[in-house]
Amino acid sequence: MINLTRLCRALLILATTAVVAWSFLHVGLRLYGQWWADRHDPRTEITILHWGDNAEREIVASLVEKFEAQNPDIRVNRIHASDYDAKLNTMFAAGSPPDLFYLASGHLPKMAGMGLLEPLDDRIERDTLDTDQAWLDEFYPVLIEAFRYDGQRIGEGSLYGVPKDFTTMLMYVNIDLFERAGVAVPYGGWTWERFDEAMRQIARLEDPTGEVYGGVFATWPEVLRQLVWSHGGDFFAGADFADVTLDEPAAQSALHRIRRLRFDDKTIYNATTGDAQGLGEQEFYTGRIGVVGPIGRWRTPRFRSIDSFEWDVVPVPHTPGAEPRNVIVTVCWAMSSASRHKEESFRLLKFLCGPEGQRLTARSGLAIPPTRVVAESDDFLQPDQSPSNARLFVDLIERAQLSQMPREAEFARYLGEEVDQAIRLDHLTPAEAAAQVEQRWIEEMRSPLRNRAFPPMRWGLIAGIAGAAILSGVALLWWWLRKQKLGSIDRAQERAGWLFISPWILGFLAMTLGPMVISLLLSVTQWTSMQPLGQARFVGLGNYTQLFTHDADFMQSLWVTFYYAALAVPVLQVAALLVAVLMNQAVRGIGVFRTVFFVPSVVSGVALATLWVMIFDNEKGILNRVLGVFLSPLHLMAPDWFGTDAEVFAIPAFVIMALWGVGAGMVIYLAGLKGISVSLYEAARIDGAGCIRQFFTITIPMLSPLIFFNLVMGIIGSFQIFTQVYVMTGGGPGNATLVYVLKLYREAFEYHKMGYASAMAWILFIVLLALTLAVVKSSKRWVHYEGLR
Amino acid sequence: MTRNATHPPESVAIDVSHRGRLRTGSDSSRWLTYALLLAGAALLLIPFYWMVSNSLKTEAEANMIPPSLLPKEFVWANYPDALAKMDFANALANTVVITTLCVIGQVLSSSMVGFGFARFRFRGRGFLFMLMLSTMMLPPQVSMIPLFIGFRYLGMIDTFWPLIIPLWMGTPFYVFMFRQFFSQVPEELVEAARIDGASNWMIYWRLMLPLSGPVIAIVAIYTFMFTWNDFLGPLIYLNDPDNNTLALALNAFKGQYGVSDAQLLMAASFVTMLPCIALFFAAQRYLVDTGAASGLKG
Repeated sequence: MINLTRLCRALLILATTAVVAWSFLHVGLRLYGQWWADRHDPRTEITILHWGDNAEREIVASLVEKFEAQNPDIRVNRIHASDYDAKLNTMFAAGSPPDLFYLASGHLPKMAGMGLLEPLDDRIERDTLDTDQAWLDEFYPVLIEAFRYDGQRIGEGSLYGVPKDFTTMLMYVNIDLFERAGVAVPYGGWTWERFDEAMRQIARLEDPTGEVYGGVFATWPEVLRQLVWSHGGDFFAGADFADVTLDEPAAQSALHRIRRLRFDDKTIYNATTGDAQGLGEQEFYTGRIGVVGPIGRWRTPRFRSIDSFEWDVVPVPHTPGAEPRNVIVTVCWAMSSASRHKEESFRLLKFLCGPEGQRLTARSGLAIPPTRVVAESDDFLQPDQSPSNARLFVDLIERAQLSQMPREAEFARYLGEEVDQAIRLDHLTPAEAAAQVEQRWIEEMRSPLRNRAFPPMRWGLIAGIAGAAILSGVALLWWWLRKQKLGSIDRAQERAGWLFISPWILGFLAMTLGPMVISLLLSVTQWTSMQPLGQARFVGLGNYTQLFTHDADFMQSLWVTFYYAALAVPVLQVAALLVAVLMNQAVRGIGVFRTVFFVPSVVSGVALATLWVMIFDNEKGILNRVLGVFLSPLHLMAPDWFGTDAEVFAIPAFVIMALWGVGAGMVIYLAGLKGISVSLYEAARIDGAGCIRQFFTITIPMLSPLIFFNLVMGIIGSFQIFTQVYVMTGGGPGNATLVYVLKLYREAFEYHKMGYASAMAWILFIVLLALTLAVVKSSKRWVHYEGLR
Repeated sequence: MTRNATHPPESVAIDVSHRGRLRTGSDSSRWLTYALLLAGAALLLIPFYWMVSNSLKTEAEANMIPPSLLPKEFVWANYPDALAKMDFANALANTVVITTLCVIGQVLSSSMVGFGFARFRFRGRGFLFMLMLSTMMLPPQVSMIPLFIGFRYLGMIDTFWPLIIPLWMGTPFYVFMFRQFFSQVPEELVEAARIDGASNWMIYWRLMLPLSGPVIAIVAIYTFMFTWNDFLGPLIYLNDPDNNTLALALNAFKGQYGVSDAQLLMAASFVTMLPCIALFFAAQRYLVDTGAASGLKG
């Protein structure tokens, strides 16, 4: 037995050592390789960033390889990112953006508006003169326009990217379901009335493997726009984005229709977990969804692996009399204005957008090539493969219109959050949602931070004052230390003591005190991390007033986080204490139970979050399946945790997740329980106190120092909830789970408002300080320090 | 836990005797205890079951409504597929390197600082110690942005340094644990070493550190768990996918456009958490039997 344990331990140590050694070797070799290449490779290095599945990765990789072969002076560092937006944002925030990167047309106003993109017109003009080839003329004109921007309108001004591909918006239909329901496949187009009817007929079908739905909608901003356009409405009237027209009848009818189909008719599947962009694909794949859309070409490669039913593409339904308009989503290669190798980057950009790349993209089926020549060739149309109606993708470009958006990213955020409240959660009426969007948008546009001119931050003065303060502080400290009597302390001992604590002193100055002061200074500035610090503007308390008076999301994030903390802290502490008492029972096999109760708490972070996404899923998750068994006899429905019931239930869901890790708190209390002298209990028993009484008069007071410590750390910890939310809901649906740190992260690393985010950090600090002081103050009354002596 | 002659005679708080155990007498309460224990254990194990079961399903089955409780066929190939898809080997190497350096740094720096606070008298000690404890209350977000800017000016973005360096500066809570432990080492022991000619450094390295095995274990384990699972740090500081940690690779799995291949994601999640679970079993006597609270006493 002992030998076996020893053997296991020896093997474990051996394996661990091997893995560690291999890891260091692996990373070391890679770093050495990079270092060597940086030093000895004479070629210019260009960094490019792109997204995509395996097929797309291979396309870009093979193009890069060819380019490098043709251009021996250039080395391309190709970075592929799945979590693309976050990656691009942090690379810009870090001051090391990629030279070339994918840019979706929807992000153009924000990126160009911040001055992050390099205008390309001059280079293209020169290139055209040099090569005598007007290669841009072969592109569909509307795609080129989609990347022109003059600070206000898309379609005019400088060109910021060359399209690599595009897609029009249409709908994928499951032909088998249409035929079974007796609905003709609407190849020639259909009205929304016919669509409603078709949904009803398909949803009536029965299927042994599960519920059949007429369709599923995606509703991210571009898609929403397609839906609104097809009802004859739009987001804005006029060119200056001042007049939001979501409240007008046409746009309202679109929102009403989605809401009705999802919540009244229930013929449209309201997929609820995961982020809104992924809606539809998995569900269509199962064969029990009639229509998915409006979406683009990018679903085609995946749907081609469907072999259980026939499918095809049809136009988005329309309203009679409404102007036929189609949203195009197009992606370009854009150049960052901070690129240090613009000449080389442009050569690569031209190559990547050239005919070869277009043909490869076309053949992969992923998107439509941006030139007519390739788009209308069999490379794209692929007559032998689904969808057989592939021409529709190309034909719809006749109706393509640019989808104008303001450069302030806030609008898309408000739109997403408020419209979700209406059509995903059924929490607001479409009219209320429209009013909310408009009101928040107008408020933001009128806020003082946007409209007032602020003086530059006087860093020189501040540095002077700070320097003087530090010097006098050090002098004061020195004087104070000198004044104290040395007593029995000898100098050698004193020096050794300072030496041993010096790592912490250094860390405190460089990683705590310094950053705190800087963060306080930043919180009174308006500064994006794209600019040098010298360009920061002094706004006084502007950030703070903006947060409290103009930023509804901030108040929401405070509320959500308070809700979580108020629920999680007591529930977790009580649970940990009760489980610890249970674990302290002298019963056989308790060791095994301790292990079982503790082991979930070692799981945290992303792995924990991805696991619980699957558990909470309203339809595919185990939790609601089990709850359904108990609740259905009572005619109750299990909550749709992160879906329609998210407003109330999403935060408790995070508490349940945290409760799974009850073991971490349990061991602390367990150790405390073991420290309580048994004579106390015996005395109580002699006095006739029962179990419960003993618990409240002995156990709790004796544990009170631990409870106090756990309470303080629990409050601080629960205000920092981030990873679960970021991974599981991204703050949605609507803004039901927009916790404080997520909002702070977004302001800092998505919108690059470092000053604004610093103000948020300081508010968090003050809130936590107040709460901690309150607990400390109250502790004098209930914490008994003799407990653990 | 093993005790030997060098161990201080007075319990060093790590040693938890079993004197406080409640004795529940009657059979009925014993049954109730078992019922509660079993119910709780079942509840806590179901998520693990769900993860493993889903990780072995086919794609179609993983998306079934309602879900199946047991895979109809076991698709073991999901595991190699998932690992290949997340570029597991590379992410593992990065995570192991970061974690190892963090654990070493944490143990060394925290014990050094703890030793300094515990065994030396110097002016300002009490004040500094209280200051250190009060920084435990600071939310890291307050320093997050300036630190990011600072590391950016140092050119350390997209390297491991911003994730490692802060852990070489001593973390208040662990410093506290070490200080509590070192304070209780009898002075005679230190005096004896000093008479033998040991320097302060030797006393720290040869005497104090070898004595503090259980504290080192707890600090190392908690640091390991934290670093292994840390997400916000790598998310901000690492860009090149070559530098991905496991947490980032797992998140990248979700992709830009929603979760597909849920079964592969479950397989990947499971493999990612396996080292934490293995470490737990290897070290559970420190965690469960002695308790993390040991350092809090006194």
